[in-house]
Amino acid sequence: MPLMSMKGVTKDYKLGKTLVRALRGLDMEIAKGEVVAIMGPSGSGKSTLMHILGALDVPTNGTAMIDGSDLKDLKESQLVTFRGQKVGFVFQTFNLVQTLSAVQNVELPMIFQGIGKSERHRKAKELLTRVGLAERMKHKPNELSGGERQRVAVARSLANDPEIILADEPTGNLDTESGQSILELLKQLSTKDGKTVILVSHDPEAAAIADRIIRLRDGCVSSDQPMSVGDDHA
Amino acid sequence: MRKLSDFFGLALRSIIHRRMRSWLTVIGVFIGITAVVALISIGLGFDKTIKEQVSGVFGVDTFVVMDESTFGPGAHTGGAAEYALDLDLLKSIEGVKVAAAVRERTGFVQGQPDAEGEVLQGFLPVSGLSPELMTEFESFTGELEVLPGGRLFEPGDVEVAVLDFEISQRLGVDVGDTILVAGDGDAELNLTIIGIMAPPEEAEASGPGFGMQFSGGSDGDTISVPYETMDLLWGPADDVLVTLVRTEPGYDVDEVADAAEEALNARGSDISAVTYTDISDAIGTMTSTISAFLAGIAGISLLVGGVGVMNTMFTSVLERTKEIGVMKAVGAKNSHVWTIFLIESGLMGFVGGVVGTVLGLGLSIFASSLIGRLFSIDMVVVASPILIAATLFGSFALGAFAGLWPAWRASKLPVVDALRYE
Repeated sequence: MPLMSMKGVTKDYKLGKTLVRALRGLDMEIAKGEVVAIMGPSGSGKSTLMHILGALDVPTNGTAMIDGSDLKDLKESQLVTFRGQKVGFVFQTFNLVQTLSAVQNVELPMIFQGIGKSERHRKAKELLTRVGLAERMKHKPNELSGGERQRVAVARSLANDPEIILADEPTGNLDTESGQSILELLKQLSTKDGKTVILVSHDPEAAAIADRIIRLRDGCVSSDQPMSVGDDHA
Repeated sequence: MRKLSDFFGLALRSIIHRRMRSWLTVIGVFIGITAVVALISIGLGFDKTIKEQVSGVFGVDTFVVMDESTFGPGAHTGGAAEYALDLDLLKSIEGVKVAAAVRERTGFVQGQPDAEGEVLQGFLPVSGLSPELMTEFESFTGELEVLPGGRLFEPGDVEVAVLDFEISQRLGVDVGDTILVAGDGDAELNLTIIGIMAPPEEAEASGPGFGMQFSGGSDGDTISVPYETMDLLWGPADDVLVTLVRTEPGYDVDEVADAAEEALNARGSDISAVTYTDISDAIGTMTSTISAFLAGIAGISLLVGGVGVMNTMFTSVLERTKEIGVMKAVGAKNSHVWTIFLIESGLMGFVGGVVGTVLGLGLSIFASSLIGRLFSIDMVVVASPILIAATLFGSFALGAFAGLWPAWRASKLPVVDALRYE
């Protein structure tokens, strides 16, 4: 059974007075441990799909099964618990809490799961060491470079040891070099830790680390194919 | 609750991060708290000071019989209304140890012929004083002093008089001389002068606020005679100004006062028996009304402080919309977000409360010493632990209350919208 499966998923939302049909009957499956890149022009429904895959939002119609649960059956509080434990997010704009140091930012998801201080601190330090920030733990986000901030974000996404890592344009605000090292880090999460990594990106470089590329157009899957050399410059 | 302490940490960091705005908000709160604490403390101190002064004069075993209209709302301390009194009946009531009364009339008085043979005469105030007044109730009368060679009344004295210094000069009389006092009808007595009051020293501080004026004529022209002597001149007393009563040890002063009031009023008097409890109740009502009024005004500034907290919290929610989205994305429940924001606003209220309490107490100490110096009394400073505890809790509650709505708004932000917010 796949880890995630979307069947006939639609999502409508209102933007002012106009109804936006962001997803229009989308079908896809993602297996455990895969690295999947979701690509498509803006307005194709990438972000909306990512919100549903991350249990931040539920479909208007259709079934979204994640790890055996239908999102529609979950209450708001269950969705919170679900994403707190099963999903780690990496955002384009890092989205670190400015008032907290690197290590505190990594601890934050664990606070909401009620994990004790010492355990939290130990794990946060371990994760920051893993992403290469052992020396910068006490620094606030505004004292870190873009690449370093995104490393903190990656460490934070791993805090509750989720099965799924969702990265929304993780290299969008980074220079090529730090972007590349973030992508390597994300790839490792799949190869070393067996995590399922979903990348939403415009960036062909980002897509290059994927096992499979799903392309969206107008709220539907337009192509779904394994990574091959030919796709490199798509 | 392990999470709660972490939420405190998060809230505190956010407050410290927005240092300037947080301080301004706190200032808004502590100005109100300072005013409330200071006014209540001063009010409590004032109340206690007055009550201590009153109890110093009264003791716990004494009550005062006054005309019904004299004590109570609208009473004035100046001229007490006169009333009829059966002093012997009062003395016979169970539990009464000593009773001393003051009555006053205006009578025809004639002095001694002077060197040219002229005799000064005229209508003058005549006071009848129970001898016990001087011996038993010094805390009321203050120290009465006669010029050397004279004395005050003693039990058994009848046809004697004590004169104010000034009138003795005008009448041209001295100790040992006699004056003629005429009463109702044919009653008249030759009274031997046994003492002349020492002239009042200039600008002498008259006791602490509760010195009773016994003679109606404060100009120094009163002729004082024993209480019994008044009976001979004007008959039974219907012109009493004030009566002081001390109870036997072991009797409840309020019960004896009630019994006396009942017995005397049944006999045709129109009096109230006023005890220390009555007076301190009356003072308490007055001071607490004033305190409550002032504290109410100060409460308005507290309200303004609360609105300030609310405003700050709304701004905070708005500028942290994205942060709220992130917290929710990484597993924060609505209740977590709500709690963090409530703690944040509550903490600002609490810090305002601590600062305000300290400043308020300081202000009340300062004001007390100032008032004390102005009125030359020892103002008691009251730092009520209940007030302090209530203020600290109340200020946290104020902050939290002001934060309720903003926190609720924060917790209800849809996570997807919050994340998209720029």
